[in-house]
Amino acid sequence: MTNAAGEAGPSPAIARSPTRDSRRRTARRIVWTQGIRRSTLVGWLFVTPALVMYGLFVLQPLVLTVQYSLYRWDGVGPATWVGLSNYVAVLTEPKLLETLFNAFRLVLFFSLIPVTLGLVTASVIHRVARGRIGALSRTVLFLPQVIPLVAAGIIWGRLLSLPGLINQGLTAIGLGEITRAWLGDFDTALPAVGIIGIWVLLGFCTVLLLTGMTKIDAALYESARLDGAGWFQEFRAITISSLRYEIGVCITVTVIAALAAFDIVYVSTGGGPGGATAVPGIQIYILAFLERQVGLASALAVVLVILVLLVILPIQRLAREDAQ
Amino acid sequence: MRVARREAYAGWALLVALMAVTILPFVSIFTTALYPSGSAPVGLSWPADPQWGNFLEAFKVANMSALLFSSVLIVLAVVPVSLVISTMAGFAIGLLRIPGSRVLLLLFIFGLTLPFEGIITPLYFLARQIGILNTRLAIVLPLIGLFMPFAVFWMRAHFVNMPKEISEAARVDGASTWDLFWRIHVPLARPPIASLAILMSVWAWNQFLLALVLVEDPTQRTMAGALGAFQGHYATDIPLLCAGTILILLPTLVVFILFQRQVISALLQGSVKG
Amino acid sequence: MASTDFVRTAAASWRARLGTAAVVAILAGACAAPGAVPASPTSGASVAAASATAAAPSGSAAATTPSCGTDPVTMNAYFETGFDLPFKLSEEFTKQFPNVTWDIKQDQFTNLMSSTPRLLSGANPPDLIRLPSMVSLVKDGLLKNLDDYAAAFGWDKFPPAQLAQNRVATDGTRGSGSLYAMGLNYSLTGVFYNKKLAQQLGMTQPPATVTEFEGLLAKAKAANLLPIMQWNATASGGGLAFPLQNLMAAYGPTDPINDWIFQKAGATIDTPTNLTAAQHLQQWVEAGDFPKDANAIEYTDANARFGKGEGVFMFNGDWQNAVYDKDLAGNVGFFVFPPGEAGGKLAAMSAPLTYGIATKAKNADCAAFFFNWVATNDKARQIDVTVGGSNPGGPTDLAVPPAAAGSVTNETLAAGGNVAKDNGAMDFIANATGSIFAQGWTPELQKMVGGKQDAAGLLKAVQAEYEKELNR
Repeated sequence: MTNAAGEAGPSPAIARSPTRDSRRRTARRIVWTQGIRRSTLVGWLFVTPALVMYGLFVLQPLVLTVQYSLYRWDGVGPATWVGLSNYVAVLTEPKLLETLFNAFRLVLFFSLIPVTLGLVTASVIHRVARGRIGALSRTVLFLPQVIPLVAAGIIWGRLLSLPGLINQGLTAIGLGEITRAWLGDFDTALPAVGIIGIWVLLGFCTVLLLTGMTKIDAALYESARLDGAGWFQEFRAITISSLRYEIGVCITVTVIAALAAFDIVYVSTGGGPGGATAVPGIQIYILAFLERQVGLASALAVVLVILVLLVILPIQRLAREDAQ
Repeated sequence: MRVARREAYAGWALLVALMAVTILPFVSIFTTALYPSGSAPVGLSWPADPQWGNFLEAFKVANMSALLFSSVLIVLAVVPVSLVISTMAGFAIGLLRIPGSRVLLLLFIFGLTLPFEGIITPLYFLARQIGILNTRLAIVLPLIGLFMPFAVFWMRAHFVNMPKEISEAARVDGASTWDLFWRIHVPLARPPIASLAILMSVWAWNQFLLALVLVEDPTQRTMAGALGAFQGHYATDIPLLCAGTILILLPTLVVFILFQRQVISALLQGSVKG
Repeated sequence: MASTDFVRTAAASWRARLGTAAVVAILAGACAAPGAVPASPTSGASVAAASATAAAPSGSAAATTPSCGTDPVTMNAYFETGFDLPFKLSEEFTKQFPNVTWDIKQDQFTNLMSSTPRLLSGANPPDLIRLPSMVSLVKDGLLKNLDDYAAAFGWDKFPPAQLAQNRVATDGTRGSGSLYAMGLNYSLTGVFYNKKLAQQLGMTQPPATVTEFEGLLAKAKAANLLPIMQWNATASGGGLAFPLQNLMAAYGPTDPINDWIFQKAGATIDTPTNLTAAQHLQQWVEAGDFPKDANAIEYTDANARFGKGEGVFMFNGDWQNAVYDKDLAGNVGFFVFPPGEAGGKLAAMSAPLTYGIATKAKNADCAAFFFNWVATNDKARQIDVTVGGSNPGGPTDLAVPPAAAGSVTNETLAAGGNVAKDNGAMDFIANATGSIFAQGWTPELQKMVGGKQDAAGLLKAVQAEYEKELNR
């Protein structure tokens, strides 16, 4: 079918379709292949609404972002062409550059830890808790994934505050001297935001990896065990290698969540203290809507989009190659 | 697969611990929500005199009925439209395999990785230009557009696996493309459409950035957007804030518990396919 | 920022009060501060050109004073969420002028910052709108020039400093030029204190010098009390800027500070006296005079905790009076931050509650009439004090209406008079440029709390940010 469609190039198909239309209306029975050219046109009509919405509200703004990024504009008055200087600012001004570093620091928490811990948890469920406990833990761990991230931010904002539950727990176990406002302390604010991310994403990774594990042929494990493989060897040699694709997906989703983090940071720290948790999303928002530096905000947005692509594409490629 | 008892215990211990850590935050805001309004409860303890009325109070002060109405309206505007047009597009790309479908597919896939922040600034000015800023349309229209990459991709994945014979048989019986789509393939595609509907509803409900930037009035926003506003107004009354937070996340929790299997598998498949 | 939100709201509640571009003089009618700030030198030709073409009111211009007429008028108004004052004023106004009804939309102050240009230039320009900032709006021609009204209603007989803050010159500097906004009232900042706790420290009267104040801080510390409750979290912005600016004014003159805020050429915040001030602040931080979690405390949290008895002192403004009176009934006092040396001049940050009229407003006359009514009508002035907690301003021959007995408002009103006598009004250092607060003061003050910035570095960093922004 692909070949058939390929033969009939789009333009001739459109040009000829009216005649075909009229002819077809009279024909009582049509042969499947004859319908192809007409269905090319109709097919495009089927795609059009989705394409229009996508084009108008995603692609068009994307192009506009690039355009804005070349100007200095306050959103109201006239815009001034400034070439690439907004990009120079993004890549040289410490305050802006730092947001990119922070985004990568968040990857550690949003991606590395949930994926690693998710692998361990999934394999535990897979091995020891296949029944009800397994199902229950699946549901429970998944809960944070369905609530609004804003709610996660609010809940954890309370837990991590000076009089919050975390500090109470620490005091109770004799660690009173390390208590602090975790989200307000320079050294701990970013990890604290990261912990919220772990909480949200762990269940997702666990359940996704678990689904992958159930597809692994049990015979693989049996034979490994016959060869005297221990838990870790088994885990590494069979589980990990069979799950490359799922792991790739987990990493992709969580890395995007980290690089494009907004809701959690906005609600829990607003980017502070002193920019310690400022991520690109927050800075774009502040620049565009608080400081009315639309051009600079847009340049940062473009850099963010490109960064996400640069990070995701190799992961995708690796995961897909290995999986096939 | 048999495992040593010791390993089983260690595994269960880990699971129980993880579940506890996951649940504890929910429990803590729940108990906090039951303390007298205006008090500053700390930690995890059951109040001496639980104030169930806090939920009612939060429902009132947060103008919850208006928020629910607004969120439902947004979901009802976004989801059906998105379902129809993405199913049509998925059908054309995956089943009709129209010329250019590979390029189209790549175009949509590109959108899968796009952070919303990447386009939020122009969206604001676009909405302002077409005069929908501060109306629900300002959330609805962009959200439909932003859902397209995933939704089209999702539906295409379904249609691409449909056996060709079904379509051929229908064609032989003289079905038009529309008939083929509407009478034959849409009924067959019910499961993925249902999953997609659940997914998009949850995502729309939880959408924050668009609501934050494009609509100022909380009663015209999504639930997540309204929650941000609610926190602003009641930041000092912690029990009330917690009660409001619970009320706001309750609908998604209920949907999740009811449609657990679908939601989980939808989310997972969604990401795997993506 | 386009919406009502937590981050914004938290900041909004106080930014709304000090957020506007303003040189301020407190104009206690009772004390009738004579020319608190020199009358704006508006004689420049450029200024005259700036005022609307027909600006120069000839002697007969006031033949018919603008009013709301007698036909039904619906005022299209944008007020700020969370503050009752304008709503109460509009209710009272309708009571007195039944032909005027109100179509009021409301929004958080910070949201107004982003939406105001759109509202003013939109299809239905507001007759009355809370202004978060003025200069760019004036530049874009979106705000009505009020010079004619000022002449017609005789606002030029108000103490000049009262209007100076709402003037914008053609070169975009504030403080002189044509009038583009009016204040509904005039707020004052200073130090609130918990009377019971202060008594415990043996404080019988407000400290007369910074040294005395610092003595009290030490006593509080020794008594295991939190000396100062203050917010410093990102969303609300660095509340430590309040004590910092007070210290600056205690150790140096206010003029250079205002110059810096008004972007006068060559102005710098990095001066020797400001360094002394910042060093004192750093000492306070290091001594633990602020809460340990200050960087995580939002404005609302700080007030709630102060209201529950945590902290002997708190730097804030009179917009919070009503809340303090409720939380700490009869137990809250106020004083203006003391000078560096006994008998020195008092100084305080202060700002008008600024409202403007859209250039294309349909009912501009009625809005101007409303401004005049707010400043001069007895009932309106009373509402200003009871609901708003601040000085109503207006002509010097009108007395400031009394506040409820035992209310802290009495103390803030009296203090305002003293500041006016000393000509000690300042605009807020957070208002110098659009982002100096978010990008300069707040992060640097947070770093100071986190032990990552010292006094000298703080001023240098902020000055660098200031220059960068001006060169943009």
